Amino acid sequence: MKYQSQKIALNFYTAAVVLFLVQVLVGIIAALQFMWPDFFVLNFNTIRTLHINALVVWLLMGMMGATYYVVPEESETELWSLPLAQLQFWATVLAVTLVVVGYIVMGIFPQANMEIFGTLLLNEGREYIEAPRWADILIVVSVLLFLFNCFMTIMKTKKFTAVQGVLLGGLTFLALMYLPGMFYTKSMVKDQYWWWWVVHLWVEGSWELIAAALLAFMLHKLLGTDVKVLAKWMYIEVGLVMFTGILGLGHHYYWIGTPAYWLWVGGIFSSLEPIPLLLMVWDAFRTTRETRGVVSNRIGLYLTVSHAIFNFVGAGLWGVIHTLPQVNKWTHGTQLTTAHGHLAFYGAYVLLIVAMIYVTVPSIRGAKEFNQSKGYQSFWWMTISMVFIVVTITAAGMVQTYLERLFGLDYVSVKANYNLWFWIFRAIFGVGFLVGVLILVVDVLTLGKKPAASGS
Amino acid sequence: MSNNAAKHLFIWGSLLCFVILIVLTVDTMGKLDSRAPEITAEVDAGKKVWHKYDCIGCHTILGNGSYFAPDMTKATVRKPKGYLKKFIMNPRAIRPNAAMPVLGLSEKEANDLIAFLDWMSKVDTNNWPPPPILAQAAAGKAASAGQVLFQQHDCAACHQIKGIGGVAGPDLTNAGSKQPDPDWHIAHLKNPESLVPDSAMPAFNELSDQELRDLAEYLVTLK
Ligand code: HEM
Ligand SMILES: [Fe+2]
Repeated sequence: MKYQSQKIALNFYTAAVVLFLVQVLVGIIAALQFMWPDFFVLNFNTIRTLHINALVVWLLMGMMGATYYVVPEESETELWSLPLAQLQFWATVLAVTLVVVGYIVMGIFPQANMEIFGTLLLNEGREYIEAPRWADILIVVSVLLFLFNCFMTIMKTKKFTAVQGVLLGGLTFLALMYLPGMFYTKSMVKDQYWWWWVVHLWVEGSWELIAAALLAFMLHKLLGTDVKVLAKWMYIEVGLVMFTGILGLGHHYYWIGTPAYWLWVGGIFSSLEPIPLLLMVWDAFRTTRETRGVVSNRIGLYLTVSHAIFNFVGAGLWGVIHTLPQVNKWTHGTQLTTAHGHLAFYGAYVLLIVAMIYVTVPSIRGAKEFNQSKGYQSFWWMTISMVFIVVTITAAGMVQTYLERLFGLDYVSVKANYNLWFWIFRAIFGVGFLVGVLILVVDVLTLGKKPAASGS
Repeated sequence: MSNNAAKHLFIWGSLLCFVILIVLTVDTMGKLDSRAPEITAEVDAGKKVWHKYDCIGCHTILGNGSYFAPDMTKATVRKPKGYLKKFIMNPRAIRPNAAMPVLGLSEKEANDLIAFLDWMSKVDTNNWPPPPILAQAAAGKAASAGQVLFQQHDCAACHQIKGIGGVAGPDLTNAGSKQPDPDWHIAHLKNPESLVPDSAMPAFNELSDQELRDLAEYLVTLK
C-alpha cells in the first residue's frame, strides 16, 4: 500500500463480510421456513427482507471499500479527506443498524409499520428497497459524501484514468438509479415499472460497469498488463453492457400491465446481454495467458478469473434461458428466477468483492507473502455449495413450471408435496455455503497479519 | 479501434440508449390508464395495506416478489372475495395448516385490500399467467353432466380431487364416502353456511335444480 488513507477500505471490507455472514445465516432460516413456516420468531417475509437487504448493503459496502482503495492508487495521492470517509463509514453502519432494528420490530408487531407523512415508518413493503424513506435519504447522503470525496481526490492530481472514469461513472449511475424507487405511485403497474429501473438498471447496468472497471484494475495489479489494452477492452465491454442492458430492461415489462411492444424490445436486447459478459471471461483468460513470470497473489487471480466465469454463467446463461417472452411466459415468477438470482449475484458481485478483498488486503497490510490456503478452501466450499443450491432450485423451478403453469396444479400443493425434497437439499447445501463464509470471515480478519508459513 | 473511439462509443451509445428508454417510458405511461380500471380511493388504500404488511415479502404480484406463497395477480378471478377476506383476516381458521400467519388486519383494511386485488385482477397483463395448456387438453374428457358442471364452475380453484386442484377448501377425493347423501350436497351447494358454520365457500344458488342434482350425483361417486 502506498497511501495511508487506503486503509479505510479495511473498515468497509470488515463490515461487508460480517453482513455477508448475517445474510447467509438468515438465508438458512429462510430455507428451513420453506418446510416449517413457523420455525422462527420472525416470519418468512422479515427473514427474506433481511436476507436480500444484507446482500445489497454488503455488496455496496464492498464496492465503496474497493473504490476508496482504487482511487488513491490511480490518482497517486492520499484521499481528499480521510475523516470524511470515516464519518461516512460510521454513519452508514448506524443507518443500517437502525433499519435492521426497524425490520425486526415490524416483524414482531406488524402494526408498528405506521404511515407517517405519507410514507411507511419501518418498511416500505417493496422488494429490495424495503428501507423506509428516511433511510433512503440517509443512504443518498452517504453515497453523495462518498462520491464527493472520491471526485475531490481525483481533482487533486487530475489523473483521469480509464478505470477511475468507468468506476466512478458506474457509481454515479448507481446513485442516480436509486431515485426512481423513492416515490409512491397509486398504480401497482407504475410502481413495478419504476421499481425495475432500480433493480435492473443496477445489476445489469451500473453494477456491471463497476465490475468491468474493477476487473481491469485487478488484472493490471496482479499481472502488470498494459493499461491501454485493458482499457480498450473495458470500454468495449461496458459499451455493450449499456447497449444491451438499458433496453434489456424490457424483459421485465412483458406481463406487468405494460404495452405489448416491450415483448420485442425486451426480447431482442436482453438476449444479447450475455455477449459483454462473455467478453469479460475472454479478457481475463487472454491477459492471464499472455503474462510471463510468476504471479505472487495466485488466490487473487484465481478469484478474479472465477468472478468473470461465474458472472457469465449466472447472469448471462441462467439469465438468457428465461429471457425470451415465449419462455418467460411460462417460467415468470417461478423458482427458476430464484435460481438465476442466486447464481448471478454470487458470480457477478459476491466473487467480485471477495476477489477485490484478496487482491487489495495483503497490500494494505503490507504483506509480500501470505497464507493462501484458506482463500481456496473458502472459495471451494462456497462455490460447490452454490452450484448445488442453484441446480436444486433450477430443478424445483422446472417441476413448478410443469405442474403449476402447464398442468394447472395449485401453487401450494406443488410447493408442499412435489418440491419438498428440493427444499431439504437446498437447506443442506446452505450449511455448506455457511462453512465457506465462516472461513472467509476469519481469513479476511487475519489475512497477511502474520508471515506466511514456509511452503504455502 | 482506438481507446478514444471505444470510449466515445461507450459514452454516446449509452446516452442514446437512455434517451430511447425515456421516449418509450413516456409512451408507456400514456398508455397505462387504458389498460387498467380506474383507481378508486379504496384501491389506493388497499395498495397501501399491501405495502404496510409487506405482502410481497412472501407473495409475488405480477410475477415479481418472493416466490414463497401464491401469485396475487389474478387473485379475485378464481377465488371468491368472501373466501379471500375470511382467509386474509385469519388464515388458519379457514385452513388449519396454512403457512400464512395472522397479521392482524382490520375489517376495513381487509376490504380495501380485496378492492386492490380486484383492481389488479382486471389489469391487462398480455394474458399472463397463461391458462395451463396440459390441463385444458385433459379437460375435454369429462364423462358425466356433473363432472362438466364441476369444470364449468371451476370448483377445482379451491378443491382438489386426487391431487389436482386448489387447497383453499377441503379435498373432495373422498367426498362421496364422507357425505353419501346427494340431498346433503344439494343443500350445501345452495347455502354452505347452513350446514357448515362459518364456511368460506360461496353459495351456488344460480344453479338450476337439475344442475344441482347432477353435481350432487357426481360428488357422491367420489370415493
Ligand atoms: C449480474 C447480473 C444479474 C443479476 C445480479 C441478476 C439478478 C436477478 C434477480 C435477483 C432477479 C429476480 C428479481 C425478483 O426478485 O423479482 C432477476 C430476474 C431476471 N433476470 Fe437477472 N440478473 C442479472 C443479469 C441478467 C441477465 C444478463 C439476464 C438476461 C440475459 C437476466 C435475465 C433475467 C430475467 C428474464 C429475469 C426475470 C425472471 C422472471 O420472469 O421472473 N438477468 N435477475
Ligand atoms: Fe433484468
